[in-house]
Amino acid sequence: MEFGFTEEQEKLRKEIHDFFQEVLPEDYNPAAVRRAGDESREQFALDLQKKAVEKGYPSAGWPKKYGGLGFTSIEQGIVSEQMNYWQVAWPGAMGYNLVGPVTLAVGTDEQKERFVPPIARGEVICFEAFTEPNAGSDEANCQLRAVPDGDDYILNGQKTFISGSRKPDWLYTLARTEDTIPVHRGLSLIMVPGDAPGVSYAVLPTMGGSMQNEIFYDNVRVPKTNLLGEVNRGFYHAMATFEFERAAVGVDARRGMERLVDFCRKEKRNGKPLIEDPEVRKMLARAAMQRQVMWLSGWYGACRRTQRDKLGPQSYDLTMFLRKDAAPEQAEDLMDMLGIYAQLKPGSKYAKYDGAIQRQQWEASRVIHPAGSPEILKVVIANRGLGLPRIPRKFNSQINEALEESR
Amino acid sequence: MDFSLSEEQEMLKTMARDFLETECPEAVIRDTLRSDKGYSPELWGKIAELGWMGISFPEKYGGTEQSIIDLAVLYEEMGRGLFASPHLSTVVLGGETILAAGSEAQKDELLPKIVNGELILSAAITEPQSSWDGKAWEPEGVTVPAVAAGDDYVIDGVKLFVHDAHVADHILCAARTGNGGKAADGITLFLVDAKSPGITCNILDTVSGSNKQSEVIFDKVKVPKKNIIGELNGGWAPLARSMQIGAVMLCAEMVGAGQKVLELTVDYAKTRIQFDMPIGINQHVQAHCVYLVGNVDTSRWVTYLAAWKLSENMDCDLDVSIAKAWTSEAYERACWLAHQVFAGVGSTEALGLMPLYTRMGNSDQYYLGDPSQHMEVIVRELEKLPPQEKPKGKPLGLWEPGGEKLPAWDIWKEYYERNR
Repeated sequence: MEFGFTEEQEKLRKEIHDFFQEVLPEDYNPAAVRRAGDESREQFALDLQKKAVEKGYPSAGWPKKYGGLGFTSIEQGIVSEQMNYWQVAWPGAMGYNLVGPVTLAVGTDEQKERFVPPIARGEVICFEAFTEPNAGSDEANCQLRAVPDGDDYILNGQKTFISGSRKPDWLYTLARTEDTIPVHRGLSLIMVPGDAPGVSYAVLPTMGGSMQNEIFYDNVRVPKTNLLGEVNRGFYHAMATFEFERAAVGVDARRGMERLVDFCRKEKRNGKPLIEDPEVRKMLARAAMQRQVMWLSGWYGACRRTQRDKLGPQSYDLTMFLRKDAAPEQAEDLMDMLGIYAQLKPGSKYAKYDGAIQRQQWEASRVIHPAGSPEILKVVIANRGLGLPRIPRKFNSQINEALEESR
Repeated sequence: MDFSLSEEQEMLKTMARDFLETECPEAVIRDTLRSDKGYSPELWGKIAELGWMGISFPEKYGGTEQSIIDLAVLYEEMGRGLFASPHLSTVVLGGETILAAGSEAQKDELLPKIVNGELILSAAITEPQSSWDGKAWEPEGVTVPAVAAGDDYVIDGVKLFVHDAHVADHILCAARTGNGGKAADGITLFLVDAKSPGITCNILDTVSGSNKQSEVIFDKVKVPKKNIIGELNGGWAPLARSMQIGAVMLCAEMVGAGQKVLELTVDYAKTRIQFDMPIGINQHVQAHCVYLVGNVDTSRWVTYLAAWKLSENMDCDLDVSIAKAWTSEAYERACWLAHQVFAGVGSTEALGLMPLYTRMGNSDQYYLGDPSQHMEVIVRELEKLPPQEKPKGKPLGLWEPGGEKLPAWDIWKEYYERNR
């Protein structure tokens, strides 16, 4: 057990730290950067990504051949930690965190050549098109159909809650290629061009201000060579995807704490700095403990990816669950501190803490749900991690019938 | 960055677990807790033979010179096995302090005896009034005076919540020898023979039962000057360091106990049948188990981070306090969650060890600083944080106040249609 970093790793951290400090503008406000509806900010995010791509940071974990730096998971963790410290996100995040790694893991050489380098260069935007109206937590119930037709598949169906505020180049789509029992054995992963004829979009606004999409597939024709990995093995590949998605959760660092402590030192209440208020002190201590736990859980995840033999299977991964479980409460603690001022949005001359706090709560209401809500994560950890029993799906219809009868 | 135990640490863990499962089964645990001494002298001798007292001491005193992390691995197993002994008082609070501050003669005389299991120590630090005032384990809390008189010092006052004083050969007493200046600067450590005239030890009736704590009355007790450990008026620093190690060991104990509580609970959820099904099929029960894992695993991480920093001699006030505050609360939550799953069965000592695990937490969470005290330390450390670092790039004016747009439907729609 050791929690230190090598000299090279510290050097890398410093290098990335300095990179962000240099390229981010003095007046950078991370709370605002990801909001849609403002093209100059969109452009800023793309420009920032471009500068990072020159360094290779966004795709650092990939082999050099495909535009990466061949970083270890610890080195990737350092990139992720610094991104978290400076509160930046890549517009092409879905490609970097999901589509790239999965293509590299299960794709053919041709697919790797075709899909991966443009993602590495930040030239394409990918959407992860998995969730459907009737396949949310029950991902395996995916009903969007892909029917073979000569050298193509024809796709019909609907996806919903697909994150992304930019025009997608690729829809990384989970589709049903066979009706099977159990249902998860008939699914495949298909790369669908975002502008393929028959694809249409509708927008779902969320309270936190981020963009969600509904996507409709109406006789969309895609060549069979766009199917990633094995046919009907999509669910297994997708589970691996979630693993990458979980792995992509940033390793938390100190910055949020520094900002909060700074605020509590400067802001006064009843003539005394907030930090002298016993309630505020308790809140700060709790926030610091939470941060330590999140920081460690992030690194634990990073280590586990390379030390599976020693640290156990990934199914029992707490990182994402812990983070999601704590998010609403953390936001609420901050709101309690600001009281009635928590309502004010950024821009109001009365706003405290840049008006960022209420939105943190709004965001929590959405952020905690992608890649498994806390409720479904608990079930996954209980069943797969702890081996607690569950009712097999094949009995669910019988239970449902019995319920109908008893009514 | 490496979260796995080394091969030697895995061996130590297995050895300790096997030993305690064989030598200290349920019946022995119960007998020990009911006994007057509160520990088993027979097992004390055996663990000395196994080298458990010498893990952190140099070879020249008979130790094996392993790290604080190894010690934590051992404490995890002692917690798991509900092993009651004066190890923390003797080896950590006593031994580590003597190692850090004692003279060569004191070290040569005392440490080998500690390693051999011949000597039991107890640390008398906290006092009635100052503990009530929230100053336990703080230098301000040490008020019992020691006054010089010829070749001796005379200690006069009451120490409270003193672990293992009733069986100790020597009591390491923190007493006030100087006033003025900083509170920490007037404290001296005395190694007091427990049989000195004037010492009365009254065992306290506490709920935990997993250890024995006493009120120790020092009625004008004479201690020879040569029994001072460390510098006159300079006792606090070495003691504080031992208390930090001790706090992390208590965390490790709770981690090990928590792990066992988790295993017992999940096992019960899988085997207890109600409504013709194992209760663990219910998602409410599953959620309790998942939160239990969360509490135990997070505690393990914060504990070993603190242990690592201690073993590397790094600045670790923040990490030790985070470990102690977090783990104490997490262990309490973990036991509570277990009780939810066990329901009534978990509250009876006749049907299992669950109540004993819960009671262990009732003592560990307060000893060497309760969560609120450590949270106060955390904030004191946070206050030292530098101001937030600022980016240095040219300002772009994209985030001027007022530039924020409402996430109203029409703006979304307009943007959206323009981009599709």
